[in-house]
Amino acid sequence: MSLSQELQTALVVCFSAVFTQNILLTLFLGMCPFTSVSREVRTALGLGGAVVFVMTCTVVLNWMAYHWLLVKLDLEFFRFVLFIVIIAAFVQFVEMVIDRYSPRLYQNLGIFLPLITVNCAILGASLFMVIRDYTLLVSLGWGFGAGVGWLLAILAMAGIRQRLDESRVPVGLRGPGITLIIAGLMALAFIGFSGVLG
Amino acid sequence: MAQAVLAVLAISGVAAMLALILVVAERFIARYGSCTIDINQGTRQITIEGGKSLLNVLTEEKLFIPSACGGRGTCGYCKVTIREGGGPILPTETPFLTADEQEQGLRLSCQVKVRNDLVIKIPEELLSVREYTAVCEKIEDLTYDMKRFILRLQEPDRIDYVPGQYVQLLCPPYPGSDEEVYRAYSIASDPAETGRVDLIIRRVPNGICTTWCFEHLQEGQTVRINGPYGEFRLSDNPAPALFIAGGSGMAPFVSILHQMEHAHDTRSVRYFYGGNQVRDLCLLDEMKRFEEHLEDFTFVPVVAEPGPEESWDGRRGLVTEAVSEEFDNLADYEAYLCGSPGMIDAAIKVLKSLGIDKARVYYDKFA
Amino acid sequence: MKQSPDMARLEQVLRSGRIVRGGFLGTDRRPLAEIIEADRAAVTRRGLTCERIAGRMAELTAAAMGRLGTWVDAGGGLQVRAEEHKGLIVCPWPHPARCRKRITTARRSETGQALQWTDLSIHLIGKHAFFQGRESAFRMEPDALIDFLGLTGEATAEDAGIWPTPKR
Ligand SMILES: Cc1cc2nc3c(=O)[nH]c(=O)nc-3n(C[C@H](O)[C@H](O)[C@H](O)COP(=O)(O)OP(=O)(O)OC[C@H]3O[C@@H](n4cnc5c(N)ncnc54)[C@H](O)[C@@H]3O)c2cc1C
Ligand code: FES
Ligand SMILES: [Zn+2]
Repeated sequence: MSLSQELQTALVVCFSAVFTQNILLTLFLGMCPFTSVSREVRTALGLGGAVVFVMTCTVVLNWMAYHWLLVKLDLEFFRFVLFIVIIAAFVQFVEMVIDRYSPRLYQNLGIFLPLITVNCAILGASLFMVIRDYTLLVSLGWGFGAGVGWLLAILAMAGIRQRLDESRVPVGLRGPGITLIIAGLMALAFIGFSGVLG
Repeated sequence: MAQAVLAVLAISGVAAMLALILVVAERFIARYGSCTIDINQGTRQITIEGGKSLLNVLTEEKLFIPSACGGRGTCGYCKVTIREGGGPILPTETPFLTADEQEQGLRLSCQVKVRNDLVIKIPEELLSVREYTAVCEKIEDLTYDMKRFILRLQEPDRIDYVPGQYVQLLCPPYPGSDEEVYRAYSIASDPAETGRVDLIIRRVPNGICTTWCFEHLQEGQTVRINGPYGEFRLSDNPAPALFIAGGSGMAPFVSILHQMEHAHDTRSVRYFYGGNQVRDLCLLDEMKRFEEHLEDFTFVPVVAEPGPEESWDGRRGLVTEAVSEEFDNLADYEAYLCGSPGMIDAAIKVLKSLGIDKARVYYDKFA
Repeated sequence: MKQSPDMARLEQVLRSGRIVRGGFLGTDRRPLAEIIEADRAAVTRRGLTCERIAGRMAELTAAAMGRLGTWVDAGGGLQVRAEEHKGLIVCPWPHPARCRKRITTARRSETGQALQWTDLSIHLIGKHAFFQGRESAFRMEPDALIDFLGLTGEATAEDAGIWPTPKR
């Protein structure tokens, strides 16, 4: 595959990861923070931003570790352990760096980083990258797109929930109940995108 | 078999490498090295290991910056001026700093992390604040909900203060309260007795410090205070003065009256002291003694609604009403107020309507 | 369900005795979000809002001010008095809010039934829909508080049941 072809695939994968293959709304990964941290647009944005960053970087790092180490040593089955360890170490490292060099960013993003270490969407993104046999460049597009898709979904949810506070939700459905119903409706809406990228 | 060994080795190798990277990173990134803080243009210089908040560092160096929220960035008391090295103002600070203050370099010291050398400026008075250990020598009941705590200073064993100032009492953690807190209490003792500090404390329902004082603090126990703080004091102006207080607001006036007695101060003083019921008034005998020893001092206790079993032939009503009944014009007077903010607001209103010069009404604003 | 990190941190502050003695949650083991949700629901069931309740409490406190701690008739069969101590107390939520250490006692003249709240309680109810945890020193049961204040909402408990009538 030539570079330009590869770039094109990366772009398509990136786009489809945002809309048609949205990791949250079609694959239902990362539901836990999605339901619990979507009360306010501001926090949702912070968490979403952190997810985009961590997902992009860890997918790339994990690609390298997988192809340059595990495949060479014939140890593919170890990918789960390796990916988790790499994600955890990476998050630690990033937290340290931004704490040191950008107190302002730390205030906005830093508190969300520990929550991300155990987010299944992050691990999921790396595992899909393996299953779907993406190249490095395409993985980059995939990681970034998946992150942005997640951000988009949680942002939309937070916007809706902020308005929900003013409307009268049936008593038994308050909180997680109505959130899941809305997530279902949003997922349906996102399926509407599936025709866009054949 | 070989593969199993290889697998274990490979994974342990990767994990060990990552751990190593983190340790090295920790060394180079999370270590700030030693930082020097220059306070008030060389008045004091401290060198410490970076990484902590400026407020913590200053407290450890026994420089007491006011704080009411324990460094969570929600009280806005801990402002200091940072001339150099403070870095950008954080989103947590902006709500507390006016545009002017930001211009002058004011920051919340609990939010600023010491990560490099700093040049800072703190108010001169705070530099003379010391920490004292003292023994709680005696606890006296003054009323059903007020006690006097007599503290004998140990280390340092004498304190220099201006009557009217206050100290902060350290309330240690105890069941129900997880952290050290400091609370302000006016000094209520004779300034000539430099080794002694009296506090008059009124109980607050479910209050952290007052519950500790009333239920846990024992005679003979060691306590810590720091101070003195505050601008509240008697002026040098010999104009006639009006004191107005309620409840534990009595405290600073005890100290001020002692000072007047020692200085043979002859100015005329009318002291209006209010309570809801007779049982709310304290130190009536001591005030009588001052009336005898001072040249021109009158103590006027006022009771709002004497209880059904209480006998009271003094003045009735609110302390503010008593003042407006007594005087037609206060233009030549100075007024000193101590009590709850509500009482102070009400008193200022009455005093203004009686023509007092606003600049000559004194009270602790920092409350 | 996991709480957001801000929420978890807030709950930790509320449980600790860092701001008020014994903390704000008493013996309540429910997560913070659940406590708030339950009380908010109780208020909505009565067709009221937390702002309105807090507004009425603030009115009563204001009525008691200026009388320096003595009883005042506040109308509607209520008498109130407010006692104040020097100093400020901060709101545990991460925003700049400071309250005076003022305690209001209100009593119904005919029954003698009395309730107590502080300025901080008013702020917590009005701004954060937080009535505190069970057995906290200043816990207020929404239903009891609403009855005591004599507030009535736009909808009765029946129509606010399972399917509340939507707001126009
Ligand atoms: C300059 C200055 C001088 C002072 N001098 C004196 C003095 O001489 N004598 C004196 O007695 N005091 C004095 N004070 C007041 C003193 O500093 C304290 O503020 C006071 O004693 C109360 O402290 P605390 O720790 O007991 O109460 P805190 O614990 O700080 O505050 C208690 C407040 O919160 C309320 N509260 C508690 N739990 C809850 C809850 N769960 N929900 C809602 N609200 C709650 C309480 O009812 C009360 O209103 C002075 C203050 C200042 C600023
Ligand atoms: S200590 Fe309260 S804001 Fe800094
Ligand atoms: Zn608040």
